[in-house]
Order: sequence, then C-alpha cells, then structure tokens
Amino acid sequence: MDKAIIELLARRAGLERALKEFPEDVTSAAEQASGWVAKMQAPREPHAEPWPPMKPGTGL
Amino acid sequence: MTGLHWLTAAEAAEAIRGRKLSPVELTHALLDRIERLDTKLHVFIRLDRDAALESAKAAEAEITAGRPRGPLHGVPVGIKDIIDVAGLPTTCHSKILIDNIAAADAVCVSRLRAAGAIVLGKLSTHEFAIGGPSFDLPWPPARNPWNTAHHPGGSSSGSGSGVAAGLFPVALGSDTGGSVRNPASACGIVGSKPTYGLVSRRGVFPLSFTLDHVGPLTRTVSDNALMLDAIAGHDPLDAGSAAVPPGHYAAGLERGVRGLRIGFIRHFHETDLPADPEVAAGLENVAATLHKLGADIRDIRLPTLGEFGAVNRVILQSEAWAIHAPWLRERPGDYGQLARRRLLGGAFISAGDYVQASRRRLEMIAAVEDALREVDVLLCASAMDPPSRIEDAAETERTYPRQARTPFNVTGHPALAMMAGLSSAGLPLSVQFVARYFAEGMLFQVARAWERAAGTDEKHPRID
Repeated sequence: MDKAIIELLARRAGLERALKEFPEDVTSAAEQASGWVAKMQAPREPHAEPWPPMKPGTGL
Repeated sequence: MTGLHWLTAAEAAEAIRGRKLSPVELTHALLDRIERLDTKLHVFIRLDRDAALESAKAAEAEITAGRPRGPLHGVPVGIKDIIDVAGLPTTCHSKILIDNIAAADAVCVSRLRAAGAIVLGKLSTHEFAIGGPSFDLPWPPARNPWNTAHHPGGSSSGSGSGVAAGLFPVALGSDTGGSVRNPASACGIVGSKPTYGLVSRRGVFPLSFTLDHVGPLTRTVSDNALMLDAIAGHDPLDAGSAAVPPGHYAAGLERGVRGLRIGFIRHFHETDLPADPEVAAGLENVAATLHKLGADIRDIRLPTLGEFGAVNRVILQSEAWAIHAPWLRERPGDYGQLARRRLLGGAFISAGDYVQASRRRLEMIAAVEDALREVDVLLCASAMDPPSRIEDAAETERTYPRQARTPFNVTGHPALAMMAGLSSAGLPLSVQFVARYFAEGMLFQVARAWERAAGTDEKHPRID
C-alpha cells in the first residue's frame, strides 16, 4: 500500500497521534490488513448472503 | 494425600465428596506450589490467596454439612484475565485497563462457582487476547513449563502454562483465532472451543463479537467435559447465545471410535502450511492409532488455510477496531507493540471488505457442513511447529500464524486440541479434532480414545 494512502486513511480514522508516535506500526498494520484483504476470495454470486444473517424476532 | 497438584478435577472432586480430601488442604497445596513456581512461569497477574482460602473453608463447611454445590465442589480454577471476577481487576494484561475492577462475575465464572469451584485468581494473556508473548507490558509473559525458555502459546497463555505445570487442574480461556487451542497445543494439555454460542460471553472482554468463544483448558479429556458441563447453557442476555439443551458431555466418553468415520484434513499440514516433520509424523500416528481402534479414516478437503486465515483476520480486525478505536486514537502508547500493530489493522479494512469476508464465511460454513455429512469427526493439525523460544521474536512471529485453528472460529464448529506426543527436544506436539455443531460429546469421545491409547494424560513436565 502506498505511503501517502496509508497516511490519508490513518488520518481519516483519527490516528494522528499513532502516526506521529508509531509511524512504523501504522505502516505495518496497514500492509498486513491489505495483505489479508488481498488473500480473500469474495463470492461472485450476487445472492451470496453474509453470515451471521439478520433474523428478526430472535434477538434479545 | 500426596501429589495433590497432579490430581484431576474429577479425582479431586470425588475425594472431596468422599471426605478423603479437604478443599482447604488442596487449595493450600496449590497455593504453595504457585508460590514456588510462578516466579519462573509468570502464570498469575493477580493471585487472590485470601479469597481462595475463604472459599475453600466455606466449601469444607458445606461438605461437612452434607451440602455439596455441584460436580466441581472444592476444585480450584484459574481465570484468564479478560474474564470478569467480581472485585478483581480485569486488565486484559494491558496498561489500558490496569485499574478496571469488575463489578460482577462473568456468567461462565458464576456457573463455575455454582458448580462448587474455587477461584484462585486471574491469569496472564496476550494483551487483549491478540498480542503475543510481549516484554513491553505491565506484567511479563507466561512461560512454557516443559521448557521455560519457550512460549506457552496464547492468547490464554497463563491458563495453558498453569494447568500443565500443576498450579491448578482446570482453567478458563477464550478463543477467537485459536487462543484456547494454541496454549493447549504448546503445553501438552486439552483445550476445547465449544460451538459458538454454547458458553455465554457476558462478562468477557470482547475481541471479535462473531468469533469469540469461551472454553476450558484441562489436563484430561474427562475434566474438559466436566468443565463444559458446568459452564455451557443459554444466556438470554448474550446476543449470540444458543438456546440448546444441556449436553451431559462426559456421558459417552468411553464409547471408543469403532465404526466412526474420521475425516483427515491432510492438505492443511502437507501443502497449505507444510508442518515440521515431527508434527506431521505425530498426526499420522494419531490417525493410524484411531484406525487400529476401529475408526474408518478418510481424506477430506476444505478451503485452504490461507483463505480461512484471511477471512478470520478481516472479520477479527474489523470487529476489534470497532472496540479499540477510541483508545488507539487517544492512547496508542499504552498498548504493547504487538497488540498495537494487530489492532490498528482494522482502520485499513473497508466496510465492503468486512461484508465480503462475512459472505465468504457462509460458503466456508457450507464446506465444513458438507464434510461433516460424510464423516463424524474431522482430524487435522493444530500447530505446525513445536513452540519456539520465547525471546526469539522473529521465530515466534514466523510460527504463530502457522496453525489450523482459525477455520473453526470462522465456522463456529466445536474443536479440541490436545497432545499428540513429544518432540525430540521434549516439547509437546498436538492434534485437533472437530465435530458437528453442538456435538461436543462426540468430540470428547474421539479425544478420549486417543488419550487412552497414547496415555497423554500421564505426561507432565518436570518443572519441580
């Protein structure tokens, strides 16, 4: 992930202090997260639902 | 009685019921052992000596009066320090919550007390159940009793180390990506993650709402079933709690495996994450032994560990970010580095990625359900390597993710990890069993068959 994008996303998430005090940790976290997302095979079938589902009437 | 520290919970409870053992004598013996060994193992964050002795005296009085509370009457337990015990700090092994005193017991703790258990104190964990063995936290990391130069797994590290070392017979841990089964594997004991929703999470500090499970760590399969009997049950105030009847999990332990179909997921440790040769040989030995005992062993294929791991991490980091974002914004320096790096990841995962992971999750559930229509139980690796040296951060970072536990947090199926043998260096090797939803009894039945054949319950570290 590009360094400028990491900084932009970190600031948008309110992580100015972490960026200033632990810039390497922010970069490492962003790269790791990006790696996990890249390894996922998202379903292509439009009707594939997420889990857990919305189930009205079964809540608290 | 001698050797009280190696009594199982079932043995101790029976001796106490029969008035052959006093709960006070047992608690004193364990407190003395803790005092002697915990300077090496760092299992406890908070030992509640006085309260434990008071509870033991009360337990003794109840037995004398003929009023046993339940199947764990007078049995000391340890509690992972992300689980609330009334009046004690729940620190999550972190500076962030160093002054956080629990107002009430977590549901799982109150159920243990109702069964008669005695709470000894709060146990080391990886920070917020996600960090790793860390030396930049307010307390040192727990160490492995088989060799204190090695890590004991985690995140329920104190639970695993303390049970294996004979500091207490049973403990509670939590498991979001394998955190009960990892220390069970590294410490050569039994750790189970029940079906999602079987044990209440109320009063347990969350890491990831849809992946978190509470589970027992014990030295025997029988004790694991006994603990699950005590803590399982519907909790109407836990949104994820399952309304299922009690399992009587210890009832079928000795049924054996003759005629059972066991699916061996070899690709996990052969091609997805090629295991250490001793780990692979250990798994083959477990499969061969169960076959000799009458089980039908078949090969099973599931999605790869890489895919399972990615889905687990995207969901976990997204949900953990929702919990930790305020502290990560305001107090990033109060986390240790490992937890900070892992928890910050959620800031870089989009809502769309989270939904895609949740959609892929349903496909993975279907794949495991399909497999469990062909077989009764799955057998696979837990850890791909014996535990590394605790101060070798690079090796720990390399080996920690080399595991096959996250798939069953993604799908919510019950899973149990236990000793498969010992490596040539004398460190525990492990195996994992997985069953259908709410079929923990079957899980224990197969695990007990392996335990009985291999004598894994008789193997203890020489820590004295």
